[in-house]
Amino acid sequence: MKKKLIGIILITVIVAAGLLWLVQGLLMPKFMSEIPEGAMIQEYYENAGGNDVIFISDCEVYENFSPITLWEDYGITSYIRGSAQQLIWQSYYLMEETFRYETPKIMVFNVLEMKYDTPQSTGASSQREAYNRMTLDGMKWSSSKVSSIYASMTQEEREKDGIWSYLFPILRYHDRWSEISGEDFRYLFQRDKVTDNGYLMQVKVNPVGDDYPVIPLVNYQFGENSYYYLDKMVELCKEHGTQLVLIKAPTLSPIWYDEWDQQMVDYAKEHDLLYINFLDRIDEIGIDWNTDTYDQGLHLNVYGAEKLSRYFGRILSEELGVEDHRTDARVVPRWTQKCETYMNRKETLEKELQAVVE
Amino acid sequence: MKKIICLMIAVVMAAGVLTACGSGNSGNTAATTADQQTTAAANADAAKADETGALAADAQTEAPAADRYTFVYKGTNIALKAEAAAICEALGDAKSYTEETSCAFDGLDKNYTYTSFIMTTYPDGDRDRVNSITLLDDTVSTFDGISIGDSKDKVEEVYGADSFNGVNAYIMTDGDAQLTVIIDGDKVSSIQYTAVFE
Repeated sequence: MKKKLIGIILITVIVAAGLLWLVQGLLMPKFMSEIPEGAMIQEYYENAGGNDVIFISDCEVYENFSPITLWEDYGITSYIRGSAQQLIWQSYYLMEETFRYETPKIMVFNVLEMKYDTPQSTGASSQREAYNRMTLDGMKWSSSKVSSIYASMTQEEREKDGIWSYLFPILRYHDRWSEISGEDFRYLFQRDKVTDNGYLMQVKVNPVGDDYPVIPLVNYQFGENSYYYLDKMVELCKEHGTQLVLIKAPTLSPIWYDEWDQQMVDYAKEHDLLYINFLDRIDEIGIDWNTDTYDQGLHLNVYGAEKLSRYFGRILSEELGVEDHRTDARVVPRWTQKCETYMNRKETLEKELQAVVE
Repeated sequence: MKKIICLMIAVVMAAGVLTACGSGNSGNTAATTADQQTTAAANADAAKADETGALAADAQTEAPAADRYTFVYKGTNIALKAEAAAICEALGDAKSYTEETSCAFDGLDKNYTYTSFIMTTYPDGDRDRVNSITLLDDTVSTFDGISIGDSKDKVEEVYGADSFNGVNAYIMTDGDAQLTVIIDGDKVSSIQYTAVFE
């Protein structure tokens, strides 16, 4: 009798847990047909290992650099761990997590993130939380993820569910039940790849129009918290023998103030780092703001990203000595497949765009 | 025994019910974000040019009386977080206009540059709201009569020494609105109204 009872309880618990797990999976946003940025972080794990260069940051990396071009032109293996409005503490913990999977020769970090010193400095809390989720939900569980959650949570989250809503996302997404669509069932157990090694491709062309307004700031000094995490990145990379390269992507907005640039120049000098402000090299790179951006200079389209990658690839290859793997039989087949996927995606998107135009 | 089995079934059902109830506070899912972005993009031009008089009337009703944190331009009250469509309608064509896919907000941030000031907006569902106003020259002034080029002494007289940040700015905050007067040397170099988000 007692055994039977225990058996029934166990079965009930397992069934309940299974049901909850299924319902939770169903309710979580899939980020497939809309906002693919939310699906990017989790794509890394299938591509972890063997990357000589890792980019970590927000849209300034995942929309401006093409790992496939770096491979095709220089044989460089790379991956972009980017997510929408990634904040510097999230970048740090992604970096920390990356070192559990591989030790790249070069770690590239885009410094625009320095402008957000605290979660509060990034805008309304509800939107901030939604962006945080795009970075945090896709991470595999580890101490890095837990630390990143604690560093990122909004005050409202702390007061409400705290970390529990990350452990059990059903607490966060339970009221999506009315939005459930066919996509939620279709991608319940598997997702399509939305990126090419972390690069989110855009083929549209939308030239730069009016100048973006330059609004003076009261204080141009980057915050203590930003420097705290940048320092930690420097230390972390040193520990692993990885060269940290700081960059500023060549995008016209948000405005990159001269005062900010000088701080990064000074920081790089002080810490013996390479810092490249690509905004100073627009002509050398060959970016044409009439053809190489899909949103008036906020990000590059694929044509601009390929130009920038060719330019940066030369630096990585010739100046920083990143290896050419194009004759490495262990690597080539995998990257050949990636190139094929990339070309197919590019062709498909161009056709879709053409169809819309016509 | 049957009671126990019923109890177990109830537990399973309760778990199911939990998935579909609770506060609506988590409604701002990223999926919703997509809808907002699409809507915001679709409405971008409409917000500039096609708003009807009815919207303008709504805004007049909604617009608070002018105060320290409201910028008034040729009779139009521009309050922070106020709906932007009718304000844009009242202000007429901007000298330049740019929009930005947002990192800090869902949808599109929009920048309207007029001759004497810049107004930026943020999306809030399918509407745009005023995020900031930056004065550009001395032809316009704050509610308290401060303009670019005015002396630091005049600013201090109006806003008080307590609002000085000790370095280069007088910063006044009231709830979700902030007025910042930046001083360069002994003169006002910039005046900015900014929406504050908790």
